[in-house]
Amino acid sequence: MSTLGKYSRSVSIIGVGCTPFMYTLDNPETAGLTEGEMFGYAALKAMEDAGIEAKDVDFYFHGQASPMNSSNYITPNMQVADWFGMRGKASIHHSEACCTGYLALEQAVNAVASGKYDIVLSGCVEFGDSLAIPDKPAHFRKKFPMEEFLRTTAWIYDRAYTRAMMSGPVICFDDAAALYATEYNLSDSQMDDTLNHMSINNRRNAAKHPLALMRKEYSELAKEAGFDDVMSYMRSPYNPKMGDYLRVSGMEMKCDGAAAVIVCPTEMASQFKQTPIEVLGIGCAALEGNQPHLEVRGTQEAVRQVYEVTGVRPEEIDLFYANDFIITSHLISAEIAGYLPKGEGWKYVCEGRTAYDGDKPINTNGGRTSFGHAHAASGLADLYEAVMQMRGLCGERQVKNLPKTTMLRGFGGGQNLTATIIRTVD
Amino acid sequence: MGVKLEPVVRTFYEELEKGRIMGRRCKRCGAVEFPPVLACNTCSGTDMEWIEISGRAKMTSLIMPSVLSTKPETLDLMPFCLACVEIEEGPAVNALVRGVTKKNRAELLKKMPVPVKAEIIQREGYKTVVFTLVEEK
Repeated sequence: MSTLGKYSRSVSIIGVGCTPFMYTLDNPETAGLTEGEMFGYAALKAMEDAGIEAKDVDFYFHGQASPMNSSNYITPNMQVADWFGMRGKASIHHSEACCTGYLALEQAVNAVASGKYDIVLSGCVEFGDSLAIPDKPAHFRKKFPMEEFLRTTAWIYDRAYTRAMMSGPVICFDDAAALYATEYNLSDSQMDDTLNHMSINNRRNAAKHPLALMRKEYSELAKEAGFDDVMSYMRSPYNPKMGDYLRVSGMEMKCDGAAAVIVCPTEMASQFKQTPIEVLGIGCAALEGNQPHLEVRGTQEAVRQVYEVTGVRPEEIDLFYANDFIITSHLISAEIAGYLPKGEGWKYVCEGRTAYDGDKPINTNGGRTSFGHAHAASGLADLYEAVMQMRGLCGERQVKNLPKTTMLRGFGGGQNLTATIIRTVD
Repeated sequence: MGVKLEPVVRTFYEELEKGRIMGRRCKRCGAVEFPPVLACNTCSGTDMEWIEISGRAKMTSLIMPSVLSTKPETLDLMPFCLACVEIEEGPAVNALVRGVTKKNRAELLKKMPVPVKAEIIQREGYKTVVFTLVEEK
């Protein structure tokens, strides 16, 4: 287990950008969008947000979960530079599957904290719903079916033993829910209702987010299907169970998207357009897929590190994000972080207290089940939302009290875990 | 003894062909790595020796296979669950446990941890390790 050192200099977020999370091929206006256009848009929006131009940026990081498979690129950072005016500037690509976007911030902060660069951009792009067509120009794409997605997702796991032993790649769908239900003695129906309420809350949040993929609330879907009560709908074959606990409503909605962030030394940050948001610390852990209860163990370690290095206490966290491509993550990580009380969080969820208008808001953008999951880009999309909430710019989905301190829990990539704390600079 | 470059994975699978399930024990701290790897994850030691795993183990948690986790290549192993298994020599690993059904799931959950034993099974072109419920006498 690692002990984190303090950053050599404080680093703050000065700009964020995000595309809609979408099925690009399904809309004539977005069909044919390429990696360069998506990454470039998010990057340029982040620069516009900060009030800077490409010439001001010293270096950029590029994240994509599966560039070989979905884009036919080996070094995908090279092919986006020209699209946002960064020709000739140095960059590097990194790939941590669903955790890429959270580690994108980590990379950028470290690059500035070290003193090597002053202004660093970190962006991620993913086509979760479409694939490149080999030997055709980049705007030729085809749909990315679930069977192909599941086939290539298996590449996240160890080939020496984990795949051959057949459990690691699939146990994660229900492991955390089973642990939670056992530890706190919840019946199967209580756990089922808890997961359903998380899906409902996520969708309520996404319904009010113009960039979200899924914006029709479950109450409306229930009415359309002839149900008076949304919970009856959630427990019905309209929302089938995929395992012991997980239902369709609790699974990620994979899609296309891109997002970006710009950071600089906090001492420089006040000269730009926005109120800076300092990155206080980022805890990180990683466990391979054959390791039991890896999400819980890795989250505990990442959270321990970040509280230790920042000195922040759990009660200071005003807003929480969790990468919840399996919706259980949302509850268990909030409890591990001390944002919700241990063993009691499920009640908060069921009472709607974790929706955007509750007293303990989680995933105000709708998370992976409703905002969507453009795998690498999701972490930076969460960061985009966190920054917008902390600036008070979220309109009708603005949380009740202006958040000053936010935690984001990243998860993914066979599997990485991160816990990031950001705080508005006074 | 210095670090040695050796085909640990190949050795593991070759031993399965001979009917032996192998792990590696750290000579410095005694911790066992299963499945076997180069270095010790308990004390960072690099002087490791091969040992045969007894196969005795206990299952500490389980989930049932689902639409997402049932693949054509695992149908011949039904009924099974996906579980955390702690082997007698110490380490815990995610593994497939045969003999668990929707009917005995609740009973097993009440009795955790439940004894299981390792078995070597044939897959297409190689052998691997799964676990099976130990019948109560």
